[in-house]
Amino acid sequence: MLRRLANVLLYGLLIFFAVLTLVPFAYMVCGALKSKYDFAASLFLPAGGGWLGVGWDRLTLANFARLFTELGLPRALHNSILLASVSSILTVLCCAMGGYALAKHRFRGRDTVMGVVLSALIIPGPLLLAPSFQLLYNLDLLDTYTGLILPGLAPAFGVFLFRQAMLNSVPDELLEAARMDGAGEIRIFFELVLPLVRPMLGAFLMISFMGTWNNFISPQIILQSPELHPLSVALNNLKGLYGTDYGVIMAGTIVSIAPVMCLFLLLQKEFISGLTSGAVKG
Amino acid sequence: MLRFQSFGLVLVTVLAAVSTTLVLLQPVEPQDGLQYWTFDRSHAQVASAAAANWNPRHPDLPVRVTTLTGPTLLTRMLSGFYSDTPVGDMIEVERGQIGQVFAGPVQDIGFVDLTDRIDRDGLRAAINAPSLSPWSLHGRNYGLPHDVHPTMLLYRSDLVEAAGIDVRQIETWDDYFRVMRPLFRDHDGDGRPDTYLLNTSPTNMGAHEVMLLQAGGGMFDAAGQPVLNSEINVRTVARMVVWMAGPNRMTADAPVSGPSAIKLAGEGYMLAFLAPDWFAGAIKKELPNLAGKLKFMPLPAWERGGRRTSVLGGTMVGITKACRQPDEAWAFIKHLYFAPETARRLYATFCIVSPIKSNWSLACYDEPDPYFSGQPVGRLFLNLAGDVPERIPSPFYASATTVLSAAIVGSCRHVDRHGITDPAAVEPEVRRRLDAAQAELLGIMQRNVFVAGRAP
Amino acid sequence: MRPQRFNFAPWLFLAPFLGVFAVFTIWPLLRSFVLALQQTYGPGTTAWVGLRNFRFLATDPLFWTAAFNTLQYTLGSLLIQLPVALGLALLLNRRGLRGRGVLRLTFFAPSLVGLPFVAMLFAPIFEKRTGLLNASLHWFFPLWDPEFAWMSEYVMSALILAALWIYAGFNMVYFLAALQNVPGELLEAAAMDGAGPWQRFRHVILPEIAPVAGFVTLLSTIGSFQMFELSYILLNNGPGPENRGLTVMMYLYQTGFLTGDLGYASAIGWVLALTLMGIALFQRRLARRYENR
Repeated sequence: MLRRLANVLLYGLLIFFAVLTLVPFAYMVCGALKSKYDFAASLFLPAGGGWLGVGWDRLTLANFARLFTELGLPRALHNSILLASVSSILTVLCCAMGGYALAKHRFRGRDTVMGVVLSALIIPGPLLLAPSFQLLYNLDLLDTYTGLILPGLAPAFGVFLFRQAMLNSVPDELLEAARMDGAGEIRIFFELVLPLVRPMLGAFLMISFMGTWNNFISPQIILQSPELHPLSVALNNLKGLYGTDYGVIMAGTIVSIAPVMCLFLLLQKEFISGLTSGAVKG
Repeated sequence: MLRFQSFGLVLVTVLAAVSTTLVLLQPVEPQDGLQYWTFDRSHAQVASAAAANWNPRHPDLPVRVTTLTGPTLLTRMLSGFYSDTPVGDMIEVERGQIGQVFAGPVQDIGFVDLTDRIDRDGLRAAINAPSLSPWSLHGRNYGLPHDVHPTMLLYRSDLVEAAGIDVRQIETWDDYFRVMRPLFRDHDGDGRPDTYLLNTSPTNMGAHEVMLLQAGGGMFDAAGQPVLNSEINVRTVARMVVWMAGPNRMTADAPVSGPSAIKLAGEGYMLAFLAPDWFAGAIKKELPNLAGKLKFMPLPAWERGGRRTSVLGGTMVGITKACRQPDEAWAFIKHLYFAPETARRLYATFCIVSPIKSNWSLACYDEPDPYFSGQPVGRLFLNLAGDVPERIPSPFYASATTVLSAAIVGSCRHVDRHGITDPAAVEPEVRRRLDAAQAELLGIMQRNVFVAGRAP
Repeated sequence: MRPQRFNFAPWLFLAPFLGVFAVFTIWPLLRSFVLALQQTYGPGTTAWVGLRNFRFLATDPLFWTAAFNTLQYTLGSLLIQLPVALGLALLLNRRGLRGRGVLRLTFFAPSLVGLPFVAMLFAPIFEKRTGLLNASLHWFFPLWDPEFAWMSEYVMSALILAALWIYAGFNMVYFLAALQNVPGELLEAAAMDGAGPWQRFRHVILPEIAPVAGFVTLLSTIGSFQMFELSYILLNNGPGPENRGLTVMMYLYQTGFLTGDLGYASAIGWVLALTLMGIALFQRRLARRYENR
């Protein structure tokens, strides 16, 4: 009896929290499908004479249509895809290379480099914001994608993650055997090492893709031309221009978060295990 | 090669390749002509109309109008001034942001000094005098004024008349709150008042500035020195705070756009608004349910015989130093701001009256407006245009606003805590807080080595 | 391995990291010392001011407002978020729970939404009167004031709520992973000895998950201290009325990129950086002491 009660309580609590978590998503989807006036008049679905007392016929895709025609969102979507995919692929590659050298090569200066990586982990980003901006100005890289992608190309955090992954999952004997067979270093890296750390590749790809996609402050500072703006900045500008037209903003938010959600569903397993591997030993 | 890659990895790689190719294939659009930047869609409409008129006559140098949100325009403009990133040839700047433009060494101001052009073309006398002041530093003009923005009181004539109140007996703010007091009450008995008498609140800095300027106070004197703790500011703030806080609180903020505005307006939540001309245009568009229920009257004065108007907001247009054809840009902004056609359009669409005196005789300003119970709104505003207070711009405008706002909010808290209803009783506290604000602002100002070394 | 010959391969692999690190971390790091002693008007116009930036910072009321707000946000989010995350993880960790995968995904989903987009999503939710939060609270508890000012006076509470929504599930994933590493035999042995659920939690589970808890706390603290876009976008690109939404990071952004004073921004950056490093060291020392016990 007590056991049943505990179970009911357990599921009750979990479902309650799950519903709370999902409510903002539901609100966003409903809001995106409503006109400006229905947005003010109803919290979720507009009232009406349809099934369940809901005005189904008043739901509209007009907000999405506006975003994709007059409001110029496709450009921003394209920019976001470009920035996030290019920088995440390059970042994963650079970090994996660095991690590989540190984990599987013995050379003079390795400990020094490892020390550099570890101390770089604790340099907080905000400190570098102002001097980096000045540097990009001096390099004439303001208002370019290069200026946005290049500084984040090889974060110490990624190098460290890959080093840990390779220590555990790339056996030295295998590398030795390949070298005996006369395989070149680059071939070994691509054909032998990378496949062995596939989960970390997926996880870090997701991490850096999300990081770039959701970045706001760097593009806000570095990119000035609106043709270059990614979704985060472009949508915030729309929010300024159409502030209270929440239907449009909600539709834009859906468009902005859907791609990340989709990528997550593809990389879910690797992502969560990669995420926690840094914290949980083993 | 691909055998080790998960589907997600492949997908992202393909995306990277495709999107890069698309960008590389995209032709670079030539940035020809003169770029005109503005922060407001309605301003853009007016500028576009003028450009449509201008461009056929200047096919080699057409004007292209771009709209950016206020904060974005500010970042891009300042980034252009600071770091030579691309910037428009002509930029409209809002009053609240002009201080930033003046914050560096004088030679680094990003706008072209227009003083000599204005005098050479004999335009100084043609412009409503107080309207040039916000865009001028040390006697040099950096922009042409877009507007005057005289301010009046916009009240719910339906509620006032239904209560049998005659607004002609109101000359001062004290009269106003005394006469309207019966309308401030809790209609449904839920313990919350349902009609407030004025749209201001402790944090509404725009309204505070309107009030202070009207009273003859403000934040900076003509030399650019801060005067936050001037006697007139102390007295005025002391009178304001007892309306906004304490047992006698009769004001609140009411939104005029957005989801809840229409509903609140229908419920008669706000009796009167501090209303510049642009506000008239905005409310007309946002709250159609108030048609025929509103009327304007001049602002009640602080003292008998005192000033009956004030000013809120404002825009200028300037030519940036990055502009390679300043003469053509000058010709265009003159064409844009001085043309009767622009004045007519500004008034018809947004109720904004022109700062150019020769436009004041336009017939449109005298037409009765049915939304405002048949009042000739344009004429009412223009009658007050010459009385609009001057505003001195300062690089420290934003800082001054911050410290002044903190002082007013603090005074309101004091009023709340001690249940004060008499302005005289709160005056010492207000004075103490304004003194502190002044000291703080002076500290901030002294830190700026670029401006401190500049002769006032 | 042939140690006698210089080994190019590792340096080749490390080249991108080292190159980018030298140019975009080491150089800016060195420059930040210089900048902190300057006042600038944009990156091009600079003037030496010595230690005046730091002296001004010590008495700058805006900085202290920002610091106070940031601290409030950090403490608020940690104290609410972490217990909720741990609670969810404990609930989800029950043996034989059905639908664990779906529930985990549900709780985790909000952390996939980037902060800028969360801010846009929550803007209408926090509206006075018509906003989802006030409307539903007023509906459930009629005494709730529908005018409750989430986006002006109580903006920090609003931000803490939004952060709870985003990060509770994210931190839960860490706790869940840690809980699954708690050896089952240990729990069974404790139960055999007659330990109640609370005692089992206190004496068996908590020591096992302490390292992860420490890590999650550190991560959340560092993240919270750097909060910027959530508040900036929610409050329409500004600090909100009375600067109630001003955070240290937003102040750094404003001074550096709107006022154009990269020098003062660097000084703020240094204070923030030293604080964060202090917190990290403190956490490390705590963790070490814990492990040695």
